[in-house]
Amino acid sequence: MLSSFVAKRLVTRMCQAAWRPAIAGMGSSRGYRGDAPDDSRIDLIEIPLPPWPERTDEPIDIKRRRLLYESRKRGMLENCILLSIFAKQYLNTMTYSQLQQYDRLINEPSNDWDIYYWATEAYPTPEVYQGEVMDLLKEFTKNRNHEQRLDAPSLEYLEEESKKEMPSGQEMCTEFQKEMTSRLVYVRGIIMET
Amino acid sequence: MATVRAASRLLSKRVLSRAKAVPAAAVQGSRNFHFSIYGKKKSAKVSDDISTQYPVVDHEFDAVVVGAGGAGLRAAFGLSEAGFNTACVTKLFPTRSHTVAAQGGINAALGNMEEDDWRWHFYDTVKGSDWLGDQDAIHYMTEQAPAAVVELENFGMPFSRTEDGKIYQRAFGGQSLKYGKGGQAHRCCCVADRTGHSLLHTLYGRSLRYDTSYFVEYFALDLLMDDGVCKGVIALCMEDGSIHRIRAQNTIIATGGYGRTYFSCTSAHTSTGDGTAMVTRAGLPCQDLEFVQFHPTGIYGAGCLITEGCRGEGGILINSEGERFMERYAPNAKDLASRDVVSRSMTIEIREGRGVGPEKDHVHLQLHHLPPQQLASRLPGISETAMIFAGVDVTKEPIPVLPTVHYNMGGIPTNYKGQVIDHTNGKDKVVPGLYACGEAASASVHGANRLGANSLLDLVVFGRACALTITDLHKPGEKLTPLKPSAGEESVANLDKLRFANGSLRTSEIRLNMQKTMQNHAAVFRTGSVLKEGCDKMDDVYQSMENIKTFDRGIVWNTDLVESLELQNLLLNAVQTINAAEQRKESRGAHAREDFKDRVDEYDYSKPLEGQQKKTFDQHWRKHTLSYVDPKTGKVALKYRPVIDSSLNEQDCAHVPPAIRSY
Repeated sequence: MLSSFVAKRLVTRMCQAAWRPAIAGMGSSRGYRGDAPDDSRIDLIEIPLPPWPERTDEPIDIKRRRLLYESRKRGMLENCILLSIFAKQYLNTMTYSQLQQYDRLINEPSNDWDIYYWATEAYPTPEVYQGEVMDLLKEFTKNRNHEQRLDAPSLEYLEEESKKEMPSGQEMCTEFQKEMTSRLVYVRGIIMET
Repeated sequence: MATVRAASRLLSKRVLSRAKAVPAAAVQGSRNFHFSIYGKKKSAKVSDDISTQYPVVDHEFDAVVVGAGGAGLRAAFGLSEAGFNTACVTKLFPTRSHTVAAQGGINAALGNMEEDDWRWHFYDTVKGSDWLGDQDAIHYMTEQAPAAVVELENFGMPFSRTEDGKIYQRAFGGQSLKYGKGGQAHRCCCVADRTGHSLLHTLYGRSLRYDTSYFVEYFALDLLMDDGVCKGVIALCMEDGSIHRIRAQNTIIATGGYGRTYFSCTSAHTSTGDGTAMVTRAGLPCQDLEFVQFHPTGIYGAGCLITEGCRGEGGILINSEGERFMERYAPNAKDLASRDVVSRSMTIEIREGRGVGPEKDHVHLQLHHLPPQQLASRLPGISETAMIFAGVDVTKEPIPVLPTVHYNMGGIPTNYKGQVIDHTNGKDKVVPGLYACGEAASASVHGANRLGANSLLDLVVFGRACALTITDLHKPGEKLTPLKPSAGEESVANLDKLRFANGSLRTSEIRLNMQKTMQNHAAVFRTGSVLKEGCDKMDDVYQSMENIKTFDRGIVWNTDLVESLELQNLLLNAVQTINAAEQRKESRGAHAREDFKDRVDEYDYSKPLEGQQKKTFDQHWRKHTLSYVDPKTGKVALKYRPVIDSSLNEQDCAHVPPAIRSY
């Protein structure tokens, strides 16, 4: 059964009034812009995007799975690495309200660079995103232990965590898988005949 | 049976998926899930034809765009504006596409900073491509550039302005005036440092006003081909694991590049060549995949770009002996030599054993000899990035760097109108119903080497070109030809196979093997023997996919499954790249071979042409590579296609005959 929020998500339409919160920080630019004049940001005001739909009745584990995908797949490499390592460290132990904060932080801003600038404290974080999770992210970004963050971690850690929860799960999986494969072959066989 | 029920209870307790894990048969014929038909304009039908395990939802549109980056959004917007019922399938939220990383700008000969002419831009691009670019497509792109930029501005993109109120344009590498004789040109239009983001935001926002349907966080699996005609795409909805067949008269592929085949690339983890792989699986060719652009300084491992501005401020490259090795390779320019010269020098140092680190596989970029205030004020971003991704304090230690994959010049071959072509019996033949634009396509405007700030231009012009071509050839509301009920079955079978794969090699291991092979054998430094070894190793990695092991058996938000699908796509791109590179026995643009250092054209352009015998098509290399792969065996077949040398209108803009490329 698919809730209405999925429907809304699928076919995004322009909503009348609201627009995304204006992104704060008109300070000096961080990226390479050479000697180009300042950014007027008119497009963000005149072309408002539909408001970010907050999911209120999503089960917590589905939320975690979704946020994992959304942490690993970002607009630029810096965020991909930063957020996927952050997710590895914190996602599975976050409470529901922390997950909601994180969801808003990584999904509501339209420019991925902004998240990077707030995490590195190049620009001040807008009030709506300030909170426990943002503080965790800022602290994490500082890399006080001078770890080498070479790449997004592989997903093995999830597998190890799931093994700890369900020690006999592996056998179950194999049995289940065999059953599934044979059923699929059976079902496919029927289709091929028709 | 009891084991299965126990398993299903355990799995459903973990809520891996809302009852998807329960096989249909175990629940006595009743279905635990059902698909509601949600707010579509045409009715979406649930069909059981492929498998009861994966119910399929069918949709009908006039056009479907795969990918919502700069090119995809421009195409979707163009089509919606023209009244076509358009769908856009994307695995990411549109403003999170990789285009957002672009901070440079868009080249256009507007002539705001000095007198300019698009024909000079045309000349620069043809020369930049090392005469492998199709001049009709380059003519189209450079001529349309000013109109495209003005159009974007009218849509609401706030380009940076000069004091007079005209669009501000700045200098960028490779752009000159008066056919290379008039000095540096200033043609790059930008929106401060967020040109990419602004482009996405503007196009996405505008397209919604025209009622474009976005399928966000849907992973496109394959094209629906019927007898050589493209009839749509089949995609996996990550939200609930349902399969969607989106049928359309016109399909546009704008999925971006495939930087992730290499160990070190500046691209996000989303650049996995999904579109080029889909086209390969459909039996169609990909063009010029061996041309991969390398940027000299990307952070080792992470691959994040360290701007050339560092070296401009005084940063130097150091090898294991502490030597400033660029003095040997480029005595005058030293560390500021052109990108491909620096990349090649770094690679030679590493290959000769003077690399740094435990595996001696990178070099150092030293900045700590510069005053700390200078670092803080002029290169603030670098200090941050180095600390975050390399754990290095730039005021004390050097940054580990490596030539890093930055852009893919090759892709799906198209004509200048954006239609995908195949080459049979020596002629180009349009594939009906299929279009491509952006980095995923090869029109080919970049040829063997891309100039900076031409990529965003490419996205916008060819995204618009696809929309215009479709508007010319079709009408909204055209009846769709029938589709076989079992179309897309193989994609679902593949999905299922991957979901339950239980071999011995993890996805991450196979991916690392592929990336290391490509990095070691098909990087900047390419020699016959190294490439051949790489082709064999790549073949082994491809075969090892049979042995893949995934651990997440769910279907809802299954990141492991998506990453495995992406790995399949990456492998198809990788085998074509390395095989095409091995076959091309010359050096041209970004493809530099140590054993064949020169360009091999039909004439030797370094000498006068009279008295020279023209080489036959088989004897020279000024031609496009077309590569096909048999997905089951991983075997690559190569064909060649001539470069288009004439512009669209010789009176208006004469083509540029090949010459020796020197700057």
